[in-house]
Amino acid sequence: MNESLNQLTTAIKAGKRKDARAATAAALEAGLPPQSVLDALTEGMNDVGVRFKANTIFVPEVLVAARAMQKSMDLLEPVLIASGIEPEFSIVIGTVEGDLHDIGKNLVMMMLKGANFKVIDLGVNVSAEAFANAVAEHKPDLVALSALLTTTMPAMESIVCDLSRIEPPIKIIVGGAPITPDFADQIGADGYSADAASAVELAQKLCANAQ
Amino acid sequence: MSQNTKYALLACDVFKEELTTFGGETPPWHRIEYLEMGLHDQPDNLRSEVQAAIARLEVDPAIETVLLAYGLCGNGLLGVHAIRCPLILPRAHDCISILLGGTAPHNEILKENPGTYFYSPGWVRGKRVPGPDREAHIREVYSARYPDDDEMVDDLVEADAETFAHHSCAAYVDLTQNADAETYCKDCAKHLGWQFRRLQGDATMLQDLLNRNWDDTRYLTVPPGHSIALNNQSELVSEPS
Repeated sequence: MNESLNQLTTAIKAGKRKDARAATAAALEAGLPPQSVLDALTEGMNDVGVRFKANTIFVPEVLVAARAMQKSMDLLEPVLIASGIEPEFSIVIGTVEGDLHDIGKNLVMMMLKGANFKVIDLGVNVSAEAFANAVAEHKPDLVALSALLTTTMPAMESIVCDLSRIEPPIKIIVGGAPITPDFADQIGADGYSADAASAVELAQKLCANAQ
Repeated sequence: MSQNTKYALLACDVFKEELTTFGGETPPWHRIEYLEMGLHDQPDNLRSEVQAAIARLEVDPAIETVLLAYGLCGNGLLGVHAIRCPLILPRAHDCISILLGGTAPHNEILKENPGTYFYSPGWVRGKRVPGPDREAHIREVYSARYPDDDEMVDDLVEADAETFAHHSCAAYVDLTQNADAETYCKDCAKHLGWQFRRLQGDATMLQDLLNRNWDDTRYLTVPPGHSIALNNQSELVSEPS
């Protein structure tokens, strides 16, 4: 792999935003394909996700890595668009009403961007109505709901129920610490993932199947 | 189970103040074991720690029942089971529901302000709550890990604070009249620029657990060989292991 791409992956893993920005600029100036820069970013973030799951790093380290990735994306996104690599799929994402915890949601969001999804982030404490309005406005391929608290699991259920009445039907994926595959099935979600990397795989699979 | 049932109490360390007060000089439990607070951060880890502690307690032939001073705790209690003894636990989201006397007041407070962060004497003792001590602790941990990188340490301290960025209220729940912990919570609120709120706790749920008033509406009984589970209505139930 090219040296600046190696440096980019290393910078993301370490959460060094200045290094990430410099390595991205160097890679783009050297004329490397923007897709290869995106792949280097994703590789770094995947590693962060794996170490987080294994409890070798903690939330603050994940957040600084996500920030470093965002710095790189700021430079990369215009180049991706200019070179015709436009997002093929789009996703509306948010934490459910009553839940203000967005670390997991933000991590999934960064990974989706890394996989070249267009992400419409509705933020935290999002009502069923706000999700429905965003679906009507952006016509995404998927909606992703996140919840951290067992207190907000009923809100996730009622949002899925409301969104399931939308025509044409929209696919919904769910995740968050207290969510289980059984709960996802029971509330009528189209998919569940336990971590950010598998959320991307799930989103890709559901979007590809819909085509 | 009779009023003389000999039980062991397996409790989160966060309840130490309340249980010490309610237990008094002749506590109603035969044995008590505390597990460290905060295990719910990794629900799988909480589950295995609770499971291992139940196995240790069940070895004691004098123990007839194991009480769990735990709620769902991020679903960390799901799947927990015992081989010989019935398990009994409150129907609660977590320690906060238990200190407030049930899930209904807990849900109501969060509905009113989802940005509520709960403090209790145990959480204050653990210094895990948002506030100046937590910041100092995070700085110390990361300064040791990145001794030559002050910028990275600053970034990590800032990132930790960011995890509470959407919160706006430090709500103190106390069943033991702990003035020092209440003052500490007020200081944290001031430091963070949050509103302070004192919540009226309700000791009934914890006291009834200790006093064997285990009615089915407020407590789940899990027979030996069954596991803690959730049904389709997200209610705690037991199911065959």
